[in-house]
Amino acid sequence: VFPAGFGSLMQDVLWCFSQVKGTIDSGVTEADIISTVEFNHTGELLATGDKGGRVVIFQREQESKNQPHRRGEYNVYSTFQSHEPEFDYLKSLEIEEKINKIRWLPQQNAAYFLLSTNDKTVKLWKVSERDKRPEGYNLKDEEGRLRDPSMITVLRVPVLRPMDLMVEATPRRVFANAHTYHINSISVNSDYETYMSADDLRINLWNFEITNQSFSILCIMQMLCPRSFLWCQDRVARHWPEIRELQPQLTLGLVLSSCTVFEEPEDPSNRSFFSEIISSISDVKFSHSGRYIMTRDYLTVKVWDLNMENRPIETYQVHDYLRSKLCSLYENDCIFDKFECVWNGSDSVIMTGSYNNFFRMFDRSTKRDVTLEASRESSKPRAVLKPRRVCLGGKRRKDEISVDSLDFSKKILHTAWHPSENIIAVAATNNLYIFQDKVN
Amino acid sequence: MLGRGLKRKLSDYEESMAGLSSAFDSSRSLPYPLKRQLVLNMCLTKLQTYKMLVEPNLHRSVLIANTVRQIQEEMRQESSQQPVSICPGIAPAAHSYTGMESPGVPLQLPSGVGQQESHCCDLRSAEDPIENSLLIVSDDDMSSAISSILKDLDFVEDISPPTCLVPTGDDQPKFPENTGLKLEDDRQDLKGAECVFGSFEISNSTSYLKDLAIDDIFEDIDTSMYDSDFCCPPLMPPRSPSLATEEPLKTFPSCNSSSANNIQICRTDLSELDHIMEILVGS
Repeated sequence: VFPAGFGSLMQDVLWCFSQVKGTIDSGVTEADIISTVEFNHTGELLATGDKGGRVVIFQREQESKNQPHRRGEYNVYSTFQSHEPEFDYLKSLEIEEKINKIRWLPQQNAAYFLLSTNDKTVKLWKVSERDKRPEGYNLKDEEGRLRDPSMITVLRVPVLRPMDLMVEATPRRVFANAHTYHINSISVNSDYETYMSADDLRINLWNFEITNQSFSILCIMQMLCPRSFLWCQDRVARHWPEIRELQPQLTLGLVLSSCTVFEEPEDPSNRSFFSEIISSISDVKFSHSGRYIMTRDYLTVKVWDLNMENRPIETYQVHDYLRSKLCSLYENDCIFDKFECVWNGSDSVIMTGSYNNFFRMFDRSTKRDVTLEASRESSKPRAVLKPRRVCLGGKRRKDEISVDSLDFSKKILHTAWHPSENIIAVAATNNLYIFQDKVN
Repeated sequence: MLGRGLKRKLSDYEESMAGLSSAFDSSRSLPYPLKRQLVLNMCLTKLQTYKMLVEPNLHRSVLIANTVRQIQEEMRQESSQQPVSICPGIAPAAHSYTGMESPGVPLQLPSGVGQQESHCCDLRSAEDPIENSLLIVSDDDMSSAISSILKDLDFVEDISPPTCLVPTGDDQPKFPENTGLKLEDDRQDLKGAECVFGSFEISNSTSYLKDLAIDDIFEDIDTSMYDSDFCCPPLMPPRSPSLATEEPLKTFPSCNSSSANNIQICRTDLSELDHIMEILVGS
């Protein structure tokens, strides 16, 4: 049964289509597949990384009084090739250029800084604008050719003249050769001087100024207890000042001396061959308040209170109907898909992706949830998204989709929520959808 | 990796597998041993495939290996006619530990870990001894002593403390030992397990099992040393006094990465680690 009116859920937020980026062609070029999405701290910029190693940054246009219904669209601001494929000659294998993560640094001057990483190398990029150009060099002519010094009779001071805005991205630091396994995440410390990079076995702590050294924290526990997130990267980052005091006890990059394990006891009634795999955590996010942690495993999203580590305070079923399909999903490797999860700005709503280009939102206070779809069909300007439903079996109602009809190749792994507004970015394979709440 | 939709073009093998996995999912009447065998076959096939890939995903490999191990454990228990425990995974009591309590605690030697840690899929002691694996050692004063010791032992940066090892083998990274140390009598059982395994028909995977002896899969500390040609420089190269006061950063000399990359596998003798720990602790 639909709630009264489309989208009248969650405190009357109606989600509308705003924009879609990417080609409409049915054939998907592998390089165009979006692999990460991230808003910057103000929400002014939205960055995506793709399998081809490119970063595309969108900038929100200023809202204009002439068109109040267009609430600041995102347009391309900069595109650059962040990573190239490399070849590891010793292992005789290719290193993928796919961008696994992008993290913005807070803005400190006119330029923007972001970290982007592939499997092996983290890079710090500076994105800056240039809208002036010097003219009137003495030793060079306007085309840049050197002048004959003997022909120069007059000296002049070069002046800066306006030019068309150019956005340049330059690599400022390259942090390489520190990870044996694939880097899966990076996290900037709250001191903004250091950051961490993590692969399956290790976390490295970097200083932004030093590229040939890193402080290594081996996290064996991640392998021992896949259900626990012992090394919640963000947590370590936030508590780094305390951890730094423990330095005298740290050496050889063995293990940090303090940790908290968040782990929920397993439900024996749900035990299966795949229990461990589906309880493996694919994403961890601190709430904006810092009081809570959200974890995503294959079938659920859980919210944990930092002060209570023996069980989550909230558990939300994302697509429990898949529980009866686990063997098939294991066979086609979908069970290993790493879905991400995000908080909204006020930590009241959480969002995560699913299959068939569905994504789900959960309102933590009202306990209501909705399933929406990112599709070309519902891509008309300001069209309100219609809630979707999956039927488990038996009679299928109109507008419902049965579990067996779900397209498992269309998965929404990466989503982002604007830090303060109801604007979300949803990556569906090679398309980036931007949805906003309806402006009345 | 892009998952493939359930409606997709399948090779013959995949077709049969898909048929079987659908049967697994939909049929309640499929006998449990058959289901288990099916899952085991899939696991081993995947591991076999990953073995051929140059750089398998570590996390995924570990999860699959754990599933294999879980099934094997079940089979072993069945074969020895012990009560079958299908749900051996007992989560430890959640444990909060603050290392601020005292710097000297806990200094657990690897042998200590061996007695307390256990299989990650199986029983864990109620006092989850996570802290037992934490090794707190002194720092700058010891660094030069450490580095010379490690140089002697050809210690590799990639090795974790003994609770996590990567088995030796080809130069390809394999799934690591992600379990704690087993007790000695487990090893006896494992020999039996090998026989049990051998009696099952495991397609495409017998070579996998033979290449890595079952003992290797489940051995926690292997005493063989990696070929010294491939050992990388010590963890902490001798540092000049000027660095002594700085954060204990690990240096990555240019050659380190290549050899580190090359070395997925290295094992250290328990007794040698004991030796290191004694020196570090200064006892």
